[in-house]
Amino acid sequence: MRNWFKSGAPWIWLTGGAVSVSLVAVVGLLALIAWRGLSFFWPSTVYEFDLEELNGHRHTVIGELYDSELVPADRIIDSGVKLPEGHGEMIERFLLKTGNREYVDLDFRWIMETQIKGEQAPKDIAVFERSTNGNFYGYVVGLQQGEQAVNVSDMRGELIARMERAIELNGKADDLQHGPIGKINYRLERMRLEERGLELKGQLDAAAQQKFVDEREQLQQDYLVLEKELFAFREQASRDSVIVKDMDGREVNLPMAKILDVYFPNDMGFFAKFSHWVHQLVKFVVSEPREANTEGGVFPAIFGTVFMVMLMAVIVTPLGVVAAIYLHEYAKKGPITKMIRIAVINLAGVPSIVYGVFGLGFFVYMLGGSLDQLFYPEALPSPTFGSPGVIWSALTLAILTLPVVIVSTEEGLSRIPSSVRQGSLALGATKAETLWRIIIPMASPAIMTGLILAVARAAGEVAPLMLVGVVKMAPTLPLDGNFPYFHLERKFMHLGFHIYDVGFQSPNVEAARPLVYATAFLLVTVIVGLNMAAIGIRNHLREKFRSLDQ
Amino acid sequence: MISVTPTNANNQQLDLNNLTPAQVALEIKDLNLYYGSKQALYDVSMKIPKGQVTAFIGPSGCGKSTLLRCINRMNDLVDICNIEGEINLHGKNIYDKSVDVASLRRRVGMVFQRPNPFPKSIYENVIYGLRLQGIKDRRTLDDAVERSLRGAALWDEVKDRLHDNAFGLSGGQQQRLVIARAIAIEPEVLLLDEPTSALDPISTLTIEELINDLKSKYTVVIVTHNMQQAARVSDQTAFMYMGELIEYSDTNTLFTTPKMKKTEDYITGRYG
Repeated sequence: MRNWFKSGAPWIWLTGGAVSVSLVAVVGLLALIAWRGLSFFWPSTVYEFDLEELNGHRHTVIGELYDSELVPADRIIDSGVKLPEGHGEMIERFLLKTGNREYVDLDFRWIMETQIKGEQAPKDIAVFERSTNGNFYGYVVGLQQGEQAVNVSDMRGELIARMERAIELNGKADDLQHGPIGKINYRLERMRLEERGLELKGQLDAAAQQKFVDEREQLQQDYLVLEKELFAFREQASRDSVIVKDMDGREVNLPMAKILDVYFPNDMGFFAKFSHWVHQLVKFVVSEPREANTEGGVFPAIFGTVFMVMLMAVIVTPLGVVAAIYLHEYAKKGPITKMIRIAVINLAGVPSIVYGVFGLGFFVYMLGGSLDQLFYPEALPSPTFGSPGVIWSALTLAILTLPVVIVSTEEGLSRIPSSVRQGSLALGATKAETLWRIIIPMASPAIMTGLILAVARAAGEVAPLMLVGVVKMAPTLPLDGNFPYFHLERKFMHLGFHIYDVGFQSPNVEAARPLVYATAFLLVTVIVGLNMAAIGIRNHLREKFRSLDQ
Repeated sequence: MISVTPTNANNQQLDLNNLTPAQVALEIKDLNLYYGSKQALYDVSMKIPKGQVTAFIGPSGCGKSTLLRCINRMNDLVDICNIEGEINLHGKNIYDKSVDVASLRRRVGMVFQRPNPFPKSIYENVIYGLRLQGIKDRRTLDDAVERSLRGAALWDEVKDRLHDNAFGLSGGQQQRLVIARAIAIEPEVLLLDEPTSALDPISTLTIEELINDLKSKYTVVIVTHNMQQAARVSDQTAFMYMGELIEYSDTNTLFTTPKMKKTEDYITGRYG
């Protein structure tokens, strides 16, 4: 036994065990959120249940099976629900997603096994994905063009063809709205500010005023033309509708313009389901959220996260590297330098919300407020930079991650052999030339390591952002086609905040839950992606300067 | 007495005490050096002749490297280092306030104990000093690379892979590359700080032959702990002990008929 201890074997087991536990934890976590998040997009079977209540009333329920659990019968009885005779000790109950939000009280409902008299999965149940009110489940009964019924043999084919037509027309209308019309609105707003600016400077004479009036007139006319076009598209898109029989036997008229997708899950083979799953996944990534973020995609949040993190990296890298170079190369070694270094390291331990408060007070109100006073007086009292925005978020996170970059850059600087420095100095280089030509390139892998850690930390940070720039729903991206293209003062959406918002602020908990997993998985993917890119660059640099490892 | 056969016996012997100013490359005058409160060099005075190889020998910690580093002011990098006295390079004190250290180091090149190429290509390593001077003309740079690498006896080995990373070279080749890098900027004096101590015997031999060639163009000062090497490559030898210059004369004399007891003890291997 003593020999066994002396051999070091227990130590190996202990350390190996620790590694395994960490690995299992990480892989388990990723697998859980990936499974929960990704399976949401799989077109699951839609069941039709025949239910019988205790009083003999029979009705049908159509829906997707979401969840099931075993509950003690006593608990159900205690909650005031009557159970038929001869029930068991435990009762299984199922959570169904029934959709049809505007026709039933709740689009999720629990049913108990004792109620179920029959269960089937008819092949012709259709699932409609709609732009408002969520999914609709039912049987397609007929098609309508205006008030006229459309009679065709291939109902499904015709339905899909007409739906695609409506989607295309709506897409054109959306393009018009976001493109030319958006531009006119942006231009009008700029003109208002220009006019106000001239007025503040006292240069708004009759000629200038006339110019504004003329231009406004011109824009107005352009707008009217575009508006006509827009209404025409919308009108055409709303030509058709589909009549659907829901689970209560009601025949409901669904306008085609509101339908985003239709599919028949019980009539799909594996490959059809798989391609639908991929399609849904892509839609989740590239489209915008709907219905208070509980439906649709997360594209603005992905874009906001990546944009903000990159902006932060652009800010923090030069700042951190320059600070590290001063501390390591120029500052005299002494108690003050030591204190500064300790302070920098301790900065990393400050709770992130404190940075948020600091960012709000210093960046947004002081810096942003002063910028507004100096450069955007015409927009006052409504703030331009004086309100939370993506630039302030990036700056706040840059300060938050600054210690990481400084510490790892300093580490990299101290790893460079002094012989290389002296070699450069002996050739007549000044210290600055040596730094620029030899030291910084050789320290670049360490700088990248710092950046990787900074990005990993910043991309996952939510709390400070809630104070300095993140919003639940941003109408525009911080990057668009209007000059000056980057709108750093705009608020933005963020995946981390999106998770919080969808998960805890949503009115529809059951609908939001899978989205929380999906978004969490996406956030992890985005962070891993950013890190992989940075690690790739670092490995390339390491290869280039591999002398350090010799 | 150990058997050393100075190879430079055929060189014309200079009388080190009666050099004309034109023959002197470096004149060290009453040099005292302190690391903090500890004195490392005591009143060192010597004249190093032009176009010759001068070797500093002595036991570890005797101050020979420190003295060498004074000549291109490498000791400036040490914060606690304090220097008194003068070193005149061609008649001008290099410790004068008006002297620009970077341009001094361009005139006094240095090669270190371990090869220290930069993590760049062979080509970029050689022209590093020229780039610092702002030379951009391709032709000039190409010519300088060939001339320097030939001067360092490395050209034939690397001419086909000038743009490969310098770390792909062997230790001896790296050291010759570093010498090529130093002579690319055409210094007046070349300081070699134990240039072969990290190399194998064959590379050492190559470098020693190279040193012999170098003295036709440069004044060479070499620090070595290897007495045979000093005897083989140098024209003058200075023996240092505990921070003091004990004896300085032409190599032949120093190794065959040393005047001082300490020198004799050292070269016969009684200590060090």
